Amino acid sequence: MPAIQTDGLTKRYGHDVYAVSDLSLTVEEGEVFGFLGPNGAGKSTTIDLLMDFVRPSSGSATVLGYDVQEEAGAVHERVGILPDGYSLYHRLSGRKHVEYAIALKESDDDPDDILERVGLDPDAAARPARTYSKGMSQRLALGMALVGDPDVLILDEPSSGLDPDGIRDIRELARSHADDGGTVFFSSHILSQVEAVCDRVGILSNGRLVAIDTIDGLRDAVGTGATIALVVDAAPSGVDLTDIPGVADVTVTDGVVSATCTEPSSKVEFVDRVRDGGSTVLDIETHEASLEDLFSAYTRPADGRLVVEVDQ
Amino acid sequence: MSWQVIAAKEFDDAVRSKLLWSLVAVVALVVGLTSLVPLLIPEFDASVLMGLGAATEFAAMLVPIVALVAAYLALAGERESGSIRLLLGLQPARGTVLVGKFVGRSGVVVAGIGLGVVIAGILAWAVYGELPLTAFVGILVLTGALGVAFVGIAIGISAATATRARAMTIGIAAYLGLALLWDLVPQGVHLVVLGGFPTGSVPGWYLLLEGLSPSGAYSALVTAVLSASDPAIPGAEALLGGPVPSYAQWWVFVLVLVAWTTVPLVFGYAVFRRADLN
Repeated sequence: MPAIQTDGLTKRYGHDVYAVSDLSLTVEEGEVFGFLGPNGAGKSTTIDLLMDFVRPSSGSATVLGYDVQEEAGAVHERVGILPDGYSLYHRLSGRKHVEYAIALKESDDDPDDILERVGLDPDAAARPARTYSKGMSQRLALGMALVGDPDVLILDEPSSGLDPDGIRDIRELARSHADDGGTVFFSSHILSQVEAVCDRVGILSNGRLVAIDTIDGLRDAVGTGATIALVVDAAPSGVDLTDIPGVADVTVTDGVVSATCTEPSSKVEFVDRVRDGGSTVLDIETHEASLEDLFSAYTRPADGRLVVEVDQ
Repeated sequence: MSWQVIAAKEFDDAVRSKLLWSLVAVVALVVGLTSLVPLLIPEFDASVLMGLGAATEFAAMLVPIVALVAAYLALAGERESGSIRLLLGLQPARGTVLVGKFVGRSGVVVAGIGLGVVIAGILAWAVYGELPLTAFVGILVLTGALGVAFVGIAIGISAATATRARAMTIGIAAYLGLALLWDLVPQGVHLVVLGGFPTGSVPGWYLLLEGLSPSGAYSALVTAVLSASDPAIPGAEALLGGPVPSYAQWWVFVLVLVAWTTVPLVFGYAVFRRADLN
């Protein structure tokens, strides 16, 4: 049974503002799923829909087979969430927060164990939450998410406000949760924070899922592409640039001829062909694509320098 | 039971609020001092019950402030700050959350106001040298009930609004309309229907209209308690100059208080249940 499944999930505000649009995705049990996208792509809204904080305009979603709206109680019993944009109860201590979570989840966790797991020492836990730094707040909220040993852990931008140690702790925690058979839904706008830990990633842009693949799959897709851009005095004429093996996506604009080269050797061939067309090459720029480029390509389609296709 | 957990946490959280305790101190002070006011008026044959009656006039205006302040942010504040994401992440049933909030905040208000009234009662007892227990307990219970009614109103408002500012605006409007200015309603109707302000005895419907607000119902019930305890204090019959019609009996005002407690809660829940919390 999938840990999380959404089917045509859509959240519309007003008449035509789509926060999430026709999102269909499946996260299997036991995997760490990276949910990527720039700020405002609809990641938090998706999570809000899964948590029944907001209601879908159309479509549906299940968590561990339970409908997120009709069976929210059953869902929440099995889910721990570190939400984005939360705040703590300023007057209450960290320990009180964890005790509250334990009581609400009717779990038999020991608050001290939880606090220790997320790295909050007893002194800090005894202080009221208003004295907490962003990093401490994040650790406490993570602790509350871990209460009741949830099957599915939803982490919405968990690294925000954390120092590198904290970010590493989050990753280790996510990994060990999945190794124990749990599922982690890890939302982030920074690819490098999820690539080390995620089995698969989905990339969300403007409310739409634009890619879903394993990190290796994405890497393969990226590996096939380097861009080459030639600055020329005049556009080449009388030559066909598109039939060169290993060259794709040729564009000729005013003064720049560019293409994607899947074979390193094809770059030279490409340059020769452009010169055969009567152009004088004034400058050559090449660019090896990285995962970050891939992410940018998906999420900033206006920046058309890199076009990569990924098998879904 | 989750609502009990939420109620206990609300109590725990709210008792740490300095603002709330300052208000309770003000209530104790004002109610205590006003219970002594009849002593200052030489024409009055001042009794402790008269003193308590005077004190409840102020309680009818102050208790709603305490209750509204204690509860108007219960949900709207959590929505604005985002802590509701933690809460609903742990307990998604919004009705349970609402009930827990209502019970917890009511507990704080009843405890605080009860303490204030008891302090005022001790003061009155010390000065007048007596304190009829039944009447005092009646006033204690009624004052608590008035507080609970306004907690219901405040929670209803808080559940139906998404921001602090809006909850505060509606809360202030509710206070002005239901606690401070309501008396203008029966007076206005009297003016329109009978061509003048009431002098001497009033018609039965006047009594009913007066008691349709929570504070009005509270005052009507306090009058009933005091006049039952001491016939020298005028009750509804004396005000009407005749028998009390069934629609203005004391139990009608009990129902009014119950309605003001529950109807806003139900309305607030209806809005909150469907609300997108983001």
